[in-house]
Amino acid sequence: MEAVKKYSETELVLLLKQRQEAAFSYLYDNYAGALHSIILNIVTDAELASDVLQEVFVKIWRQIESYDDTKGRLFTWMLNIARNASIDTVRSRSFQNSQQNRELTESVYELAGSTKIATDQIGLRKLVHQLKEEYRTLVELSYFQGYTQDEISKMLDIPLGTVKTRLRTALIQLKQIIKPA
Amino acid sequence: MDIRAYIESGIIESYVLGMADAQEAAELEQLAAQHPEIREAIASFEASLEASAIAQATPPPPDVKAKLFSELKNEFSATVPSFTESTAKVVPLTATGSRSNFFKYLAAASVILLVVSSGMNFYFYNRLNDATDKLLALQTEHNSILADNKTYQTRLLDIYSNMQLMSDPQMIKVSMPGIKGKENNLATVFWDSKTKDVYLLANKLAQAPENKQYQLWAIVNGKPVDAGLLNDCNGLCKLKNIPAAQAFAITLEKKGGSPTPTLDQMFVLGKVSG
Repeated sequence: MEAVKKYSETELVLLLKQRQEAAFSYLYDNYAGALHSIILNIVTDAELASDVLQEVFVKIWRQIESYDDTKGRLFTWMLNIARNASIDTVRSRSFQNSQQNRELTESVYELAGSTKIATDQIGLRKLVHQLKEEYRTLVELSYFQGYTQDEISKMLDIPLGTVKTRLRTALIQLKQIIKPA
Repeated sequence: MDIRAYIESGIIESYVLGMADAQEAAELEQLAAQHPEIREAIASFEASLEASAIAQATPPPPDVKAKLFSELKNEFSATVPSFTESTAKVVPLTATGSRSNFFKYLAAASVILLVVSSGMNFYFYNRLNDATDKLLALQTEHNSILADNKTYQTRLLDIYSNMQLMSDPQMIKVSMPGIKGKENNLATVFWDSKTKDVYLLANKLAQAPENKQYQLWAIVNGKPVDAGLLNDCNGLCKLKNIPAAQAFAITLEKKGGSPTPTLDQMFVLGKVSG
């Protein structure tokens, strides 16, 4: 993001806990884009993703007191809020219904070659696409769809131990992809 | 336990991405507390995850921020931020609150005072103008009274000195009544028997017409001698010195006088009493 960094993370958290609008505005300007990507990765519908993004920032604002900097970075905490909110949205019944109603129009858009966002070509999911197929499916199911390893084991009919090992390997590879050169 | 192998098992990434189950997370947190290498590994992955996510950012539609801030507008603090954790919350907040109230009242009081003061300024300015006008009128009146007073004083002095002259025992009074056809005219000559100065009092003489002047004649041994012209003067007018005369008369002559009197223009005549 373009915004100039003017707070250290400690200062930013302190100012957010003091309910400072300027600090929250700074937080939004610096992180909304990154969180928007992860939400789009999971929710895939642009309009709905905007709503989830707003909901995520409301949660960040209202739950900032529960953020514990000894447990990790602010962004890790926010990323998990965004991921969980997105998965919850996808799993909610109303979303399921709207997705079904939408299927027809979506295929129409796709046929027309519209500018609809390719939500698997952005953010973390784009990086996951660089993994081998057998790892990619596991990360998709686990990270982007929120299934537990046990659920995945049953879903794919693979032993839980294998799911765990493969997933760990996938994440190590992902780490290599993520790591700045 | 082989910490290096643990770190490289993928558990760190799984934990940071929120994919580790409760048991795995608890185990990692416990180990991290004991092993700085684990804490470093977590911090390192978090940093690269954040950098990567920011690099992969998708700008949200611009209206989201406005909607978000509108939703939260009542939850923002109205107070100045503070960086000191311990004192931050209470002390400066109430202090600033009451102080800003104080200044609010102070400002209100200032405005009221300004309005009252302006009103008073206007009132007193008008009063001052009235008083100045009255003073000017009084000064003018005072000056005109003083001037009148001076005039009266001068006149009074003239009259007094005239009276002195007229009542002097050495002064010969020659009364000159109007001649036939001019009976309503009257003038009086006062002739100093010692200095021979002649003074004239025009008791009743019509205003001389434009470019004409009254002229006094002394009749000396039957002949008229010019005794002077009657100019504008109050009371007694000093004319010429006449050493001897038996009578005095006044004629109306052209302006500046004549060498001989125009007899048909005689107005008054009086003999010097023996």
